[in-house]
Amino acid sequence: MLEACVLATVFVGFIGIIFKHNLLMKIISMDVMSTGVIAYYTVIASRLGFGTPILNPENDVQYADPVPQAVILTAIVIGFSIQALMLVGAMKLAHDNPTLETDRIEQDNTP
Amino acid sequence: MTVLTIAWITLSLFVGLTIYLLPKLDRYLAFGMVLLSGGYGVQVLLDQTLREIVLLDHFGVTLLLDQLSGYFILTNALVTAAVLGYCIFQQKSAFFYSQAIILHGSINAVFICADFMSLYVALEVIGIAAFLLVSYPKTNRSIWVALRYLFISNTAMLFYLVGAVLVYQANNSFAFTGLINSPPEAIALIFLGLLTKGGIFLSGLWLPLTHSESETPVSAMLSGVVVKTGVFPLLRCGLLMEELTPTLQLLGMATAFFGVIYALFEKDSKRILASSTISQLGWLMVAPAAAGMYALGHGLVKSLLFLMSGSLPSRNLDELQEKPMHTSLWIPLILGSLSMSGFPLWIGFSAKALTLKSLGSWQEMVMNVASVGTALIFAKFIFLPHKRQGEGIKPGLKWVASFLICALLLGNIFYWPAYTLPNMLKAVGAIAVAWLAYFVMVKPLKFQLPRVLEKFEHLIGVMSAILVLLFWTVFA
Repeated sequence: MLEACVLATVFVGFIGIIFKHNLLMKIISMDVMSTGVIAYYTVIASRLGFGTPILNPENDVQYADPVPQAVILTAIVIGFSIQALMLVGAMKLAHDNPTLETDRIEQDNTP
Repeated sequence: MTVLTIAWITLSLFVGLTIYLLPKLDRYLAFGMVLLSGGYGVQVLLDQTLREIVLLDHFGVTLLLDQLSGYFILTNALVTAAVLGYCIFQQKSAFFYSQAIILHGSINAVFICADFMSLYVALEVIGIAAFLLVSYPKTNRSIWVALRYLFISNTAMLFYLVGAVLVYQANNSFAFTGLINSPPEAIALIFLGLLTKGGIFLSGLWLPLTHSESETPVSAMLSGVVVKTGVFPLLRCGLLMEELTPTLQLLGMATAFFGVIYALFEKDSKRILASSTISQLGWLMVAPAAAGMYALGHGLVKSLLFLMSGSLPSRNLDELQEKPMHTSLWIPLILGSLSMSGFPLWIGFSAKALTLKSLGSWQEMVMNVASVGTALIFAKFIFLPHKRQGEGIKPGLKWVASFLICALLLGNIFYWPAYTLPNMLKAVGAIAVAWLAYFVMVKPLKFQLPRVLEKFEHLIGVMSAILVLLFWTVFA
């Protein structure tokens, strides 16, 4: 169930990238999609259990797998920096296209 | 070697940052770094052993050095050197050099990694650096083209990430070798990401606009090495896992023809070059074992042709027919086009011979037809008129073009057995057929392909179609 919800988030973000006409909405849709992907990593990590992966000899808990959590940190940082870059690009484009409609921007800027 | 490799990868990122802090030294630092990479690439090439560098407690995170990496690293060094040489006469700011070296370093990282996580990081850094280089002129058009590139590459990489975690779930490791034991959806998702990054078949529809609307040196860099970073991991996977080779070959053949057909109906010189890049990527995919030399040949030629195209009096071929260019511009252009068409004497010929040699009989037939197609496209450049008046080649470009042409000649040493009489006759025959076809069919052609599929929404939409297609291919 949880997995289905997470994958639905990815899917909704993807659909948003295609069907939203506004550049800002497209960028936000991509953020939704990457949120879904990040959540999917944590779902996969929690397959074996939910315990924080710190070694504790006294009580035996089911640890969550630390590896996917560790690697997804990198992806979060990369995702957010790309997001920031895109927003800067959108800001620059907004000077001449205040409505930020991608169809118009594309029409004006393709030879 | 381990220490050297890690120091070299880190150094390029460090040098990239230093250039920004010490703008006075930008050229020297950049050239020093590229020289180092070139030396390292040659060393990896000459060293016949396969080296693996494994991280402690690694979960599959490894670096792998073999001859294939050597070829690609050398290509990267030569192309970057040519692009930097071109930029010296262009008054570029330190920021440009800084991004170019960071791009150079992250491309090198792709060529030595053998696991899906390091690959992801390297590809994303490439995406960001390429975005900054494409948008460098800060005009509306360049920002839009760069934004579109980053959007597509990042969406593809998100699919790739899902694939990567599925591989980890199946193998508890991110190594390439785990791909074959993973569920089919993992293979499909990872392939989708890499095909889009590498501009293969329908996933390469974003490529013509991006590569043709960037500045001249950036186009040369993008077509010369950046797109090869998407193809390289696919080649690695094909070499490590025999089961994937048929899929790669099919995709490669489709790509080779797709690029040729796209370029046939084009009138814009830079778009022709970009479409031809797509078709050449198909040649890389067809024979992973021979891809190293092919990549070297293609990278050198493409960077030469893109750098030359920036100095032509016009981008439109019809206008170039009316307005003859200066002979000094025409000579490098024709030499590059000959190498591209696989004319004996140039690296293009020996690389094509090596690729065709490693194919089965029916694949060889198909690729021979594709090679006629390539010669047909480049006939458009070869038969342009030229004269001895007007604006000649700039001194800086003259040096860079001579450097690349020498490299094209010297590249033959990697496979000199190609020069047998049947091979040479076949190559010249294919070119003759292509030139004949050019005069009969292509030159009078007035039809242009519609560009509706290159619209942004369609590019994203095509991803889902490709995903379904890949899924069925893997499943079957």
